[in-house]
Amino acid sequence: MSCQCFIIPTNVLERFAKDKTLSQEQRKCFADAAQFEKHWRQVRTAHGKLSAAAGAILPSGIQVAAPPAVTVADCNHGTTLPGTPVPASTADATAKRTFVETRAVADFYQNVFGRNSVDNAGKTLMSSIHFSVKYNNAFWNGTQMTYGDGDGNIFIDFTKANDVIGHELTHGVTQFSAQLAYANEAGGLNESISDVFGSMFRQWRANQNVTQADWLIGKEIMGPGAVAKGYTCLRDMANPAAKHCLAPQPTNYSQYKNGMDPHYSSGIPNFAFYKAAKAIGGKSWEKAGKIWYAALTDFAPRPNMKMKAFANRTRTLAKTMFPGDPSVFAAVNSAWIAVGR
Amino acid sequence: MDLLVVERIGGLAGFGGPGAHVRSRGQVAIARLSEADRRAVEELFRTRGDSRPSAVRDGFSYRISRTTSAGSETIEVPESMVPASLVGCVKDELI
Ligand SMILES: [Zn+2]
Repeated sequence: MSCQCFIIPTNVLERFAKDKTLSQEQRKCFADAAQFEKHWRQVRTAHGKLSAAAGAILPSGIQVAAPPAVTVADCNHGTTLPGTPVPASTADATAKRTFVETRAVADFYQNVFGRNSVDNAGKTLMSSIHFSVKYNNAFWNGTQMTYGDGDGNIFIDFTKANDVIGHELTHGVTQFSAQLAYANEAGGLNESISDVFGSMFRQWRANQNVTQADWLIGKEIMGPGAVAKGYTCLRDMANPAAKHCLAPQPTNYSQYKNGMDPHYSSGIPNFAFYKAAKAIGGKSWEKAGKIWYAALTDFAPRPNMKMKAFANRTRTLAKTMFPGDPSVFAAVNSAWIAVGR
Repeated sequence: MDLLVVERIGGLAGFGGPGAHVRSRGQVAIARLSEADRRAVEELFRTRGDSRPSAVRDGFSYRISRTTSAGSETIEVPESMVPASLVGCVKDELI
């Protein structure tokens, strides 16, 4: 019997390993997977620490590991993944953009956070393009990214917004770190983490500080029909409830209810990140981003984390990571208080 | 005629969410479905789409309602489980 259990939390694997309703062979398989997952997690953590230490000690430009491989496949408007492999020499503009921006996301995570790919172990970053027909979406399926071409009216090619590419890849980072669930408060946090790092990546690419940045999500995928109606983005981290958002969001936890779509409730932590980064000033990835990254990756997985718990992590990290600058903690603390957490 | 009312929800853009200006709806008569699709729909309602956690993020879900002589019921299932004839009956629109 083959067993592929690596996205299942260790405690669940261990529970299955003791489940008497399963066969002895199945229980052994789950026990082996749990054991392997523990060792693998230790290797990943050690690798992350080594990368960070090397980044601090070695001359700039030297990396511990080679960047992850980046592959692109073409679905040719079908829905079978991954599709036909696309050579790096392709003339297809969507494929070219996907190669370039996916490599850039890998560079962003490596250079800013010392992370080697989504799993911090060099996992190949695979993307499929031209998915389905006039498909108005992009998604992460647990293994790879997938991008639609848009219908040409509401949306255009989903690879045109590099924050969307950063958003999808960050779902991979979350899957291999905090393992946040996709419902209720953890779901809102999961979506917010992808918006936060997608937006930060877009700012990093443009070398913008927090004042120069527009904080819009998906600005470059809005189609002519949407723009004509005044919708300039999917979401706006600086003003989540704004009329120019295609999908306006809540701005305070008092508006939160269980069962909300994570793409809606994410407005609350999105707004907190914006407020913290703006108050700290400078480039978002230098301080606020580093705090949010540590809150996501420096702890054991916590699939059902609530927004308050994540907020408190960032409060603690703001103090421990920037002990000489109390204004960082003050900014983070005020940001969360402003959104009700 | 027994109808399936279908709404595509979620995705990166949060289709059909509270206050969202984008939605995707459609409907199809059960009698117009192929035998295979009718069986697939029947199975979706029987299992309620199965609720095992999925690793998919930003994927669309489908809210499918049917009204028969036995009453009305609604399920929400991930796109990968929905027959193509139902996926194809919805139309994305700005509101
Ligand atoms: Zn997402």
